[in-house]
Amino acid sequence: MTARAYVRQTLETGWRTVFRVGWPRTDKDRSAAMISSFFLHVHSAKVKPNSLRAAYTFGLGLISFYMLLVLTVTGVALMLYYTPSPDAAYRSMKDLQFVVTFGPVLRNMHRWAAHAMVVAVFLHMCRVFFTGGYKLPRQFNWVVGVGLLIMTLGLSFTGYLLPWDQLAFWAITVGSNIAGYAPGVGESAKYLLLGGTVIGSGALLRFYVLHCVILPVAVVTLVAVHFFRVRKDGLSAPPGRAPATTAEAAKGGFPPSARSYGLMALADRPAQPVVESDPDEEVMAWPHLLYRELLLLLAVVVALHVVALLFNAPLEELANPTRTPNPAKAPWYFLGLQELVHYSAFIGGVLVPGLIVLALVLVPYLDPSPRGVGVWFSPERRRANWIFGVFAVVTIVLTLIGTLFRGPNWAWVWPWTG
Amino acid sequence: MKTPKPPEAGASKESTRRRFLLTTGTTTVVAGVVGFLGATARFLFPNVLYEPPSRFPVGGPDDFPTGSPTFLPNQRLFVFNSDAGFYSISSICTHLGCNVNHVASGGFACPCHGSQFDANGQVIHGPAPRPLAWFGLSLSSRGELVVDQRRIVEPDYRFKV
Ligand code: HEM
Ligand code: FES
Repeated sequence: MTARAYVRQTLETGWRTVFRVGWPRTDKDRSAAMISSFFLHVHSAKVKPNSLRAAYTFGLGLISFYMLLVLTVTGVALMLYYTPSPDAAYRSMKDLQFVVTFGPVLRNMHRWAAHAMVVAVFLHMCRVFFTGGYKLPRQFNWVVGVGLLIMTLGLSFTGYLLPWDQLAFWAITVGSNIAGYAPGVGESAKYLLLGGTVIGSGALLRFYVLHCVILPVAVVTLVAVHFFRVRKDGLSAPPGRAPATTAEAAKGGFPPSARSYGLMALADRPAQPVVESDPDEEVMAWPHLLYRELLLLLAVVVALHVVALLFNAPLEELANPTRTPNPAKAPWYFLGLQELVHYSAFIGGVLVPGLIVLALVLVPYLDPSPRGVGVWFSPERRRANWIFGVFAVVTIVLTLIGTLFRGPNWAWVWPWTG
Repeated sequence: MKTPKPPEAGASKESTRRRFLLTTGTTTVVAGVVGFLGATARFLFPNVLYEPPSRFPVGGPDDFPTGSPTFLPNQRLFVFNSDAGFYSISSICTHLGCNVNHVASGGFACPCHGSQFDANGQVIHGPAPRPLAWFGLSLSSRGELVVDQRRIVEPDYRFKV
């Protein structure tokens, strides 16, 4: 064997130890590649064409995930220049903004992606609701989703304190005092969150650890569960190809996996099909799903870069515990609640959010009928859609009021009067 | 002739032992987990707080002009010098902790959610659930007024020097 042939062969076999099937050129190889790759096997080998329609999911779950990816990468980068202590935190932010190469872009991206993730997760939840995606057999994945929503807000809230500017200090003052209103446990909960009675170095360190370790690990774990269930249950899809809700599944038995075939699906169809829909009606996930995902990732990353280059994340003056800005506002996604807090801290801060979370968790169990899955605003689910629609609109309107229409002393202002 | 032990007896003896081990094992594990969670919860409550003291001198009686209030931003309170004596009112809004401002009419207004308080710190309007706190005063050996934030007093409190 010539030396050249030897090198070539070694490289090729080496490559094969990493990617077992090489670059796939046939559908069969593509299926094998999807199944043998750790990262790709979150997908099934074939997907229902209707579940690929952009106007069905609007890619919102994926967008939420991509935001999480961007936040992880930029967040780890920011950690290298950030010191979580009241004396140093603000200086770190100034360094990031004026001294660190690419610091402003990273900080802006982290901030805007965080806001975008809250929006994307909320819209994704609305999409799932209005298409009946929480129904049999996906009830529990909806509950996992509610956990993800809460953690997304928690991540955003804990991140809010870290710059240690006026905005951060007072938003967290208002936010953490709300915890104090919870009956019975409120004061202890606040003490626990702040690691003391005032917002100082203890609170900053706790928020930092929550923001950079505890919550990210929890979110990643829940996302893994969430994706696993989506993979096992298949994505709900527009009718004609909606997953069968078998009698067995209805009885609470283990729902047959809609994706329980792999390479077999490509061989001759078995006499007794293991899936309810004809595999031939489905399309290969590679390229149809994979390329769409990559394209969306590209779009998200490009959009975030554009926004981060055009708009600077705000940084106000150093936190000053003796001077309250007027008005002092919580982060925008809590301003709907702050609007209610303006009437009663207990109602807005504890009762309403508590009831919202409870109601969201119970959604799939309060609405057990398996009908109307896979269509936006199915007429079979008129009442449920109305209830959720009103909830979503009220949430948005209250948030807009709190954000745009409230000025000094929380008095009503028109946004255009400056 | 010895009758052999019926198989059930052996089985039941074994199953009692099994039950015993299972119960003891499960109980130990559950107790361990509960204990661990309890210890973790306790761990999260700090024993020592490196926070500003709640009892501190604020200056000599002559530093406070009669009539108008003196706002001490670092301590987040007002000191009043009235004919009847000194008194001190917290500037921390009882709603969600913003600093209230003293207003010309004699009361207080909170910038955050619009709570209003009268000159005694009683709630007139808005979401604040409780009146502003009144702090007890004393005189230090150096002749300075000392505020004790742990000592909450009634609004008729006046401290004569
Ligand atoms: C960090 C937050 C979240 C991420 C990254 C995420 C990601 C995803 C992805 C990628 C999908 C596949 C379909 C799609 O793209 O729409 C999906 C489906 C789903 N998500 Fe989420 N999600 C999140 C939060 C939520 C929330 C807040 C809910 C509801 C309360 C939820 C409930 C569901 C359900 C039930 C499905 C299956 C829907 C169907 O089959 O039609 N998820 N999620
Ligand atoms: S904090 Fe004063 S009114 Fe809310």
